Amino acid sequence: MYPIILLSFLGIVVLFLGFAKSKAILLPATLLFLAVALVGNFVEWNQGTIIYFYNMLAVNNLTLAFNGIVLVSAFMIVAMTRGFQDDDEAQPAEYYAIMLFSLVGAFMMIGFENLIMLFLGLEILSVAMYVLTGSDKRNLRSNEAALKYFLMGAFATGILLFGIALLYGATGSFTLTGIQAYIGQGNPSYLLYGGLLLVLIGMLFKVSAAPFHFWTPDVYEGAPTIFTAFMATIVKTAGFAALFRLLSHSFTGIYDYWWITLAVITVLTLLVGNIIAVYQDSFKRMLAYSSISHAGYLLIALTAMTPQTENSILFYSMAYSVATICAFGVLIPLAREKAMTGKPRETYEAFNGLARNNPLLAFVLTVSMLSLAGIPLTAGFWGKFFVFGSAAERGIIWLLVVAILMSAVGIYYYFRVIMAAYMKEGDTAEIRVAPFYKIVLVTATIITLLFGIAPGLFTGLV
Amino acid sequence: MNTNYLPSGFLPIVVQFVLALGFIVVTMIVTHNIGPSRKGKVKDDPFECGIEVVGDARTPISVKYFLVAILFVLFDVEVIFMYPWAVNFKKLGMFGFVEMVLFMSLLLAGFYYIIRKGVLKWEE
Amino acid sequence: MQEPSIPDIIQLIPLKSYLILSTALFVIGILGVLIRRNAIVIFMSVELMLNSVNLLLIAFSSYKSDPSAQVFVFFIMAVAAAEVAVGLAIIVMIYRNTRTIDIGFLNKLKG
Repeated sequence: MYPIILLSFLGIVVLFLGFAKSKAILLPATLLFLAVALVGNFVEWNQGTIIYFYNMLAVNNLTLAFNGIVLVSAFMIVAMTRGFQDDDEAQPAEYYAIMLFSLVGAFMMIGFENLIMLFLGLEILSVAMYVLTGSDKRNLRSNEAALKYFLMGAFATGILLFGIALLYGATGSFTLTGIQAYIGQGNPSYLLYGGLLLVLIGMLFKVSAAPFHFWTPDVYEGAPTIFTAFMATIVKTAGFAALFRLLSHSFTGIYDYWWITLAVITVLTLLVGNIIAVYQDSFKRMLAYSSISHAGYLLIALTAMTPQTENSILFYSMAYSVATICAFGVLIPLAREKAMTGKPRETYEAFNGLARNNPLLAFVLTVSMLSLAGIPLTAGFWGKFFVFGSAAERGIIWLLVVAILMSAVGIYYYFRVIMAAYMKEGDTAEIRVAPFYKIVLVTATIITLLFGIAPGLFTGLV
Repeated sequence: MNTNYLPSGFLPIVVQFVLALGFIVVTMIVTHNIGPSRKGKVKDDPFECGIEVVGDARTPISVKYFLVAILFVLFDVEVIFMYPWAVNFKKLGMFGFVEMVLFMSLLLAGFYYIIRKGVLKWEE
Repeated sequence: MQEPSIPDIIQLIPLKSYLILSTALFVIGILGVLIRRNAIVIFMSVELMLNSVNLLLIAFSSYKSDPSAQVFVFFIMAVAAAEVAVGLAIIVMIYRNTRTIDIGFLNKLKG
């Protein structure tokens, strides 16, 4: 609860810091504020479940851990945003402030106890993302991405709201416990089923699960890369935390009704994400499809809904976020360098011969690709392991078969990048990266490897 | 009060609706057919209070108008949160007052930001 | 004779009628989003969807004598206003760059 209040307030402070003469203070200030929020987040660690604001928000170790993932991801991404200050048009204070505000939305989604909070959190996060997507004002691709994201996002919000209204009509309550109690009485109204379906569709839109994924590649490609990283990690983590909370706290009573729907969507998402990713030439677009496929893996855990699910979603989000930040973190300086020489910027060819002059970047990229592909000794492997384990526990073997086949497909397109970096001939000059940037990339890589070797360090925490 | 509304009770509304629509259609047809039709360059010009017509109607409007309109929408709608407070003013007491002051100060922070950004300076 | 209260007036019409009306409005909104090509019209369709939700929530709220749905409606209205501000800003930004708001023009991003 503290990070919500802290970041709401500190976001306004960042906004007003923008009026200072020197813009140099903004980045350290934002990082400091994020660190403060991180400390504030863990003040309530190990105090059991605390309910705030008349049953609006709940705080427990799980939500705090999700908040932690979101905050650390945001910290890394903000640390990478050095480029803002070069541009006259850019408004760094506003971007930092919007990022901080969007985190507030993410926290509300993670800890909601009342559907009003789910809606508000989702909107705070989404509206902030629409602005950030379109922040490259002169670039038509960024404009287009923003409009697409906005129209699709608002559409999804409408569907979600209608679902919430129907749920309220059936149960007479917006709280998770109220809905659960209603289902516990037995013989639920048809409004409840319709409402649940619409709420699921709205949420799956936001986490870009197939067949509601079609906006994702365009938006991810058009948005400035740094904000694509923000979207791919924080929006997805918060979205899955919210979906998990909704399904596990309210709808376990009618599991038989929704699990098959979710299973079909999971299979579709896995197929679409992985198979289309194979045919991409653009690295950024491939990462967009890869994010769809990772949504599929996370959905497996949701479909299974065993006691292990919360830990597997938590671990998977962490592994996926860190690896994705590394991938985008390598792409940003590389694309900037390529743009200066007028070469293709975001295709696989851009990575040709990266290893010769930039061994560090190539190594970071390799680890992140291995982690996304789920190769042992990286965090991504254990993420997949836990997720598949929860499906096996529930006994949904056919889902497991599809998932394992699709992760084999995934290895193909992730290794294409590694092959380009190490095997192909290319002439990428040495890329100068700020020391701070380097520290972030190396830390993220160490996290990936550390939890890859000893996942117990992380799972033991929660 | 009569609480039983039968479908026949809506008949006056239907009659009113038909009459309103009929009046419009009839007047449009009649004016088209009765009035003499003379065409001319001066007559077909858009009427602009007697002065010469200048340019196209769809000229670009300064973005300042747009900004002010958007800001108006934002600040206008936030007022709805004062209604529940006003209705329960006595019952909410000091707690409600403090919460509302907090809410208004956040709004005012946004307003101050707008002023500092120079959005409301029209002359420049 | 005493004036009837607003919930009483709302309850003169059966709940099912509200449900049908707001579902119809909602479906019109969805069709508008899917069929129309003009960004502003799509946007209006989305607003129609939100307002159908508001109507439904108010009807349920009166029937259940529970004010929490009305509070939800306040929040929907406030958030919709914020969304309008951002959405119109995006549309104006695109109009300034391309001189059109037809979504058929948006084809720079293809895989």
